Amino acid sequence: MIIETANLSLFYKKFQALINVNLGIRENMITGIIGPSGCGKSTLLRVFNRMNETIDGVSITGSVKVDGEEIFSPVCDINMLRKNVGMVFQRPNTFPLSIFENVIYGPRLWGITHAPTLDGITERSLRAVNLFDEVKDRLKKPALGLSLEKQQRLCIARLLAVEPEILLMDEPCSALDPIATSKIEGLMIELKKKYTIIIVTHNMQQAARIADEVGFMLLGELIEFDRTKKIFTNPADERTFNYISGRFG
Amino acid sequence: MDSHFDEELKKVKQNILKLAAMVEDSITKALEALKKRDPGLAKEVQEIDREVDKLEMSIEETCIELIARHQPVGSDLRFLIGVIKMNNDLERMGDHAVNISTTIEYLVDKPRIRPIIVWSMARVVKEMLTESVESFMNNDAVRAQKNCEHDSVVDEMRDETIRILLTHMIEEPEKITSAMSYILVAKNLERIADLTTNICEDVIYIAQARVIKHHAEAGGKKE
Repeated sequence: MIIETANLSLFYKKFQALINVNLGIRENMITGIIGPSGCGKSTLLRVFNRMNETIDGVSITGSVKVDGEEIFSPVCDINMLRKNVGMVFQRPNTFPLSIFENVIYGPRLWGITHAPTLDGITERSLRAVNLFDEVKDRLKKPALGLSLEKQQRLCIARLLAVEPEILLMDEPCSALDPIATSKIEGLMIELKKKYTIIIVTHNMQQAARIADEVGFMLLGELIEFDRTKKIFTNPADERTFNYISGRFG
Repeated sequence: MDSHFDEELKKVKQNILKLAAMVEDSITKALEALKKRDPGLAKEVQEIDREVDKLEMSIEETCIELIARHQPVGSDLRFLIGVIKMNNDLERMGDHAVNISTTIEYLVDKPRIRPIIVWSMARVVKEMLTESVESFMNNDAVRAQKNCEHDSVVDEMRDETIRILLTHMIEEPEKITSAMSYILVAKNLERIADLTTNICEDVIYIAQARVIKHHAEAGGKKE
């Protein structure tokens, strides 16, 4: 397991948003987290790179290990963790810079200044998201001029530039049309060969299509976690069945 | 570039064609075993049937998973439904091949008879199977519809076989066991022909969304 949680609970002041979550994420797979709005999906996702700590009043109990290392340990390097566990959000958060500057932003922060190296990183990262051929002649042009779908791919390329192991995707296709969504989904299937991907989605059909394993959450609890085929053909818990069949949620 | 789902559908098609090839081989070997009264060949048919059963279960499971995960519509849905049905029919054909091969047990040391019509019937049935598989491979509803028309020919050949063998039984009672065995072979061949007709009906459904089963009107009922 590349990520393991044990008795993980999270509180926003007095409100308990995650209740005793025990979960194992496998390497080089797409893990989907589904559930109704407010069930704690995004909160759980943000635990894995400690992004919840940017919110006031958050407290966490339990254990979370990434690559066998406890991420809440005082010796954990939070910057290294966030380099290794990158995140893509619902709306592309492209920087108001050129395409090239967006991609090399992270590597520069990590001390890489050698121009040929940065060029190589840019090409590698953009090729990995099938974007290089489309933008290679306008790398110095503003990234915000790209379509939303290409901007989202650029955001993923920006993550890949710092060579993470794990990609967290919080509803990455919500802002995209069906064709753009299909392209991003195809990209995720390609990327899982090299990376571990965890995707939160309110679109359970998306989870059914692309995830290898799926976790269903409800009111802060992880109700069921299993192979996608099992969840969608024979879920163990009635609440899971009621959600995936549209009876509630 | 094909999508992930299209790649999965291609694999399903490859597997169902592989199953069809195994069943064709099984029927050929069963008939050869019967002609030569070869128990070794009959055993091979049973071994093939075990592999047929395994592949049939695997194909069905895959189709169910694809329906659950991708919610296909239109021709993709018809294809998967058609494959599930064809899968089942092919597996049953394999069972009939086993039935044919096991009649050897009743023919050993029994007087020989030469029901030439059974071999003619076998030839027609094998051609029907080949045609049904080809029409599926090429999504050819016209070819499939034409193939359905041969089913009545096989029915007549079965009836003729029974008539001829009944005559044998009346005139030469010592050949009753042999004759009965060949009647069972003819019935199994006729069932195989019925199942190839089912496959052709499935091809028409997949290709044109027309339902022609249960001898519906010639135009079929369009969905």
